[in-house]
Amino acid sequence: MLTEDNETLVEFAVGGLCNLCLDKTNKEYILEANGVEAIINCLSSPNEETVVSAVTTLMFLTTPQSRHQTTALPVVECMLRFSLSANKRLSNLATLFLEDYCSPPQVEEARNLSKHTAVGIPLPKD
Amino acid sequence: MKSQSCSFTLPRVYHGPGTESLVYPHRDKGHHRPAISGHQAIHTEETVWMSQVYTINLESRYLLIQGVPALGVMKELVEQFALYGAIEEYHALDEYPAEQFTEVYLLKFQKLHCARVAKKKMDERSFFGSLLHVCYAPEFETVQETREKLQDRRKYIAKATNQGDCFVLKKVEGPKKTETSEHDCPWSTSGSYAASNWNPSCFTSSHGISHNTGHPSGNHNQSLLTSPHYDNNCAEASGYFGQNTSLTPSVHLGGRTPPASLMQQRMVPTYSGIDRFMPRTTHLQERKRKREEGNRFSLLGTNADNTEVIIGPQLPQIPKVDMDDESLNTSATLIRNKLKEVADSVSVEKPESRSAKPVVKQRRRI
Repeated sequence: MLTEDNETLVEFAVGGLCNLCLDKTNKEYILEANGVEAIINCLSSPNEETVVSAVTTLMFLTTPQSRHQTTALPVVECMLRFSLSANKRLSNLATLFLEDYCSPPQVEEARNLSKHTAVGIPLPKD
Repeated sequence: MKSQSCSFTLPRVYHGPGTESLVYPHRDKGHHRPAISGHQAIHTEETVWMSQVYTINLESRYLLIQGVPALGVMKELVEQFALYGAIEEYHALDEYPAEQFTEVYLLKFQKLHCARVAKKKMDERSFFGSLLHVCYAPEFETVQETREKLQDRRKYIAKATNQGDCFVLKKVEGPKKTETSEHDCPWSTSGSYAASNWNPSCFTSSHGISHNTGHPSGNHNQSLLTSPHYDNNCAEASGYFGQNTSLTPSVHLGGRTPPASLMQQRMVPTYSGIDRFMPRTTHLQERKRKREEGNRFSLLGTNADNTEVIIGPQLPQIPKVDMDDESLNTSATLIRNKLKEVADSVSVEKPESRSAKPVVKQRRRI
C-alpha cells in the first residue's frame, strides 16, 4: 500500500499508521510484516505530510528489537539532513529522533559518513 | 526540502503537495477552497474534496487564527477562545499575509485537547462579521514541546489500550530523562476523551448514578462529563491499577493520594479516617452492592424461617439502601415512605376513576 503511486493515498496510509502504531498489537503486526522498510521508503516522498508521519511512525515503532532497523545508518543520515531543514516541523521531529532514539555514536557515525558520500535515502524531490 | 519563496496571494489557498512555501506551510486541505494558482490545478481536482488525515504531528497547542476583522478585537477574540481552556500566550502575527482588513493571530493553549476543541468549535465561525479560519500551527512548537506532545500521545495510548507499554517508554527515555515527564497533561487529556473512550471502564463504576436517579443510560455521558477530573481520575486509577508503576502520574486533586493507595482504600472501604475522601465511584459501587443485596433480600424475603411457601419471586419492593450516613438515611426513608403513600393512594384511586367515566381521548387541536 505504501508503494502506491497515488501520493495522497500514501500520505493517508502513513498518517493512519502513525495514529495506530502505538497500540501493542498493531506495533507487533507492523514489525512482523516488515513495515519498517516500507516506512523508511516514505521518508523520501515529496509529500511533506508523508515524511513527517513516517518519521513519527518510526519513532513510535522503535522497540529494543526493532531498533537496529529503525535507527539504521541510512535512516540516521536522513534524519541528520532533515534536522537541518528549514521546515520547522520536520527539523523538530528529526532532532527529536536523533536525540531520543539514536545513540550518540550512531549519530556521529552518520555524520562522518555523510561528509563523504551521498549514499542512503535520496533527498525528497521537492 | 528545497527552499521556495513565499508565494501567498490569499491565505486560504489550498496548496498541493510540494508547492508550499517554507515559511507559511499551512495546509488547508480540509476547507475545500479552490486553488488560485494555475499550476496546482492538477493536484486540486481530486484532493480538494478529500478531508485531511490528522496525526499527532499535525495537531498542536498552537492555533493560527485568520480572518479576524481588524477592529481592535484582540481582547474579545482571546476571551472567546479562553472558554475552551487556558491560553498561555497570544499575539498578532503582523508579518503573516492576510486579507484586507483582517488580522492573523497566534494562540498558544496550555493543553492540546483544549486547542483541539477550540479549533473544532471556532473554525468557520462568524466573529464580528467575519468568518474565522482556525488551524493548528505545529511549526511554532519548540523541540521540547514537540517531544512532550509525542510523549503525551504515547502515554494516552498506553492508558487507553490498558497496556504496559512503559517498557518501551523507559527504554527510549531512559538515557535522556533529565526532566520528569509526568505532567498532569495525561489526566486532563484523558478527561476530554471521557465521552468516547472511558465509558467502558467508567460505566461499571458510575452505574450507580443512573440507577439511583432512574435516568436512562443516555445520561451516563453527562454525569461523567459534568463531574470533572475527579471521577475520571478515580475511575482511571482504579481501572488501571494493574499498570506498571512507571506510568503512575501524580494525581493533581489538591493533594490526593497516588493511585496505589487509592486502590487500598477501595479494598478497605470502612477505613474511617478517609471516609470523607473516598472517591465517589467507590461510594457508588458500595451502594450498588448493597442495593443488589437488598434486592436479593426483597425478592427472597429476609425471613430466615420461611414458614409459608413462596411461589415465584415477591414483588420487588423499593430497596432499602443504607447510605452510610444518618441524614441521608433519614431522607431516604422519608422519600421511601412518601413514595409508598403515593403508590397506595394511586392504586386506590384508580379503580374508582375507572368506573366513573371512560377517558376522553384527546384530539389534536391543529
